[in-house]
Amino acid sequence: MRIFQRMCVLLVSFSIVSVGAPVVSYAGIIDTATAIDAAQGSATSQATGQRAVDLATVRAGLERQDVRERMIALGVDRGLVDSRLAALTDTELHSLAGRMEQLPAGGDLLAVIGIVFIVLLVLELVGVIDIFKKT
Amino acid sequence: MSAQRRARCVLIALAGLALCACGGASLTRVVTPDSQLPPSVELQDVPFHPQTEYQCGPAALATALSASGIDVAPQDLVGRVFVPQLAGSLQAEMIAATRAYDRLAYQVAPDLTSLLATLAEGRPVLVLQNLGVDAVPFWHYAVAVGYDVHRDRILLRSGQHQRLALSTRRFEGSWRRAQHWGFVVVKPQDLPASARAAAVLQAAAGLESAQRMDAALAAYGAAAKRWPGEPLARLGLGNVHYRQGRLAEAQAAFRALLALEPGHVVARNNLAQVLLEQGRPAEALREVQAARAALRASPGDRGGGVNDPRVAEALAATESAIRAALSERGARP
Repeated sequence: MRIFQRMCVLLVSFSIVSVGAPVVSYAGIIDTATAIDAAQGSATSQATGQRAVDLATVRAGLERQDVRERMIALGVDRGLVDSRLAALTDTELHSLAGRMEQLPAGGDLLAVIGIVFIVLLVLELVGVIDIFKKT
Repeated sequence: MSAQRRARCVLIALAGLALCACGGASLTRVVTPDSQLPPSVELQDVPFHPQTEYQCGPAALATALSASGIDVAPQDLVGRVFVPQLAGSLQAEMIAATRAYDRLAYQVAPDLTSLLATLAEGRPVLVLQNLGVDAVPFWHYAVAVGYDVHRDRILLRSGQHQRLALSTRRFEGSWRRAQHWGFVVVKPQDLPASARAAAVLQAAAGLESAQRMDAALAAYGAAAKRWPGEPLARLGLGNVHYRQGRLAEAQAAFRALLALEPGHVVARNNLAQVLLEQGRPAEALREVQAARAALRASPGDRGGGVNDPRVAEALAATESAIRAALSERGARP
């Protein structure tokens, strides 16, 4: 059973790696980002050994895939999405995966409408906020 | 809107402007004779790229990149940082796009003092602001280019304003609602004087992850010079040399690290890999054994992440590769 699980994990990880954006990994040396991560003790997984490494690979692959699909759904050009993902670290992908819409996205204030506008105008006048001074 | 926030609004509405004037951030509390900060700073040379539509992200980033010597217009950055359906740009992508131009995105410490110190060094800071409230956020990127203690103002390139002078109280409130997030775009070899080692190394590792190897090398080199006792700067140097095929330089960097910290398991592993590739498997095996001894001697301490399964796994993989090389060598006539 354990061997079967491991085979499944490996199979899924390889398929993700081959389908998604290139996940660059080098045999042999431990990269600096992993060393920083490890020095901070941020290995949250309870699993150990090969299984933990497999799970981490799968997780990173799934997150990359998730972020890629969300970005395309949110209107990012398909031709540009892979180069954008390549510039992100695994930690950054992890922070984006599954919650891109909830994160701050610095934009502009043209979407202010209706009742929200009035509420904001009141807040602005009493000095709590200051969205109308600029954009 | 939280009850606390609502209560505060009511209070303010009742008491009027008199109450607003009390409390809040003020530059006179930060710029004191002891702080060694000049009373006013204005980085007049920072170019200005006005934003169009929702695109304060590309505009602010173009401003910050231009200030570091990269000739780029907001339009060139839309395809890198703008997410159409969010009508904005994500923080992680602002950082990532900076890497794509071989610049280090150094995150300033989240306080007004660090922001002013960075400006006093002559470096503009790209900041995220929440111009709304926590419950109804309006996220906005701007570039801080100065401050004025006498008028108690923070100066910004913001949206369509080339020079927006915002009261410190208002600026600090909007910046605080964005967790005081901001970064400086710097040439990788030109670290800010006020930089912290951990944040620089994080940013340098980001360049390495994004395959900007020359920039990463410059950043690690500058970090190793600034903080000679910092093991991760040397590890980074060794790793980039290795990735670029310079095994001798990689070896020297890992050995320099191990001279500082003999129990650094990651450095031992990477040195073993380099020695193996240099055709010296017997020496490589000794490094792996030293790494194992370090693991046993100091379970759970620093030593470069000895408890991390990835480190243990990589060490095991290196060892089996070395043993395979040794047995192949032994089998040869």
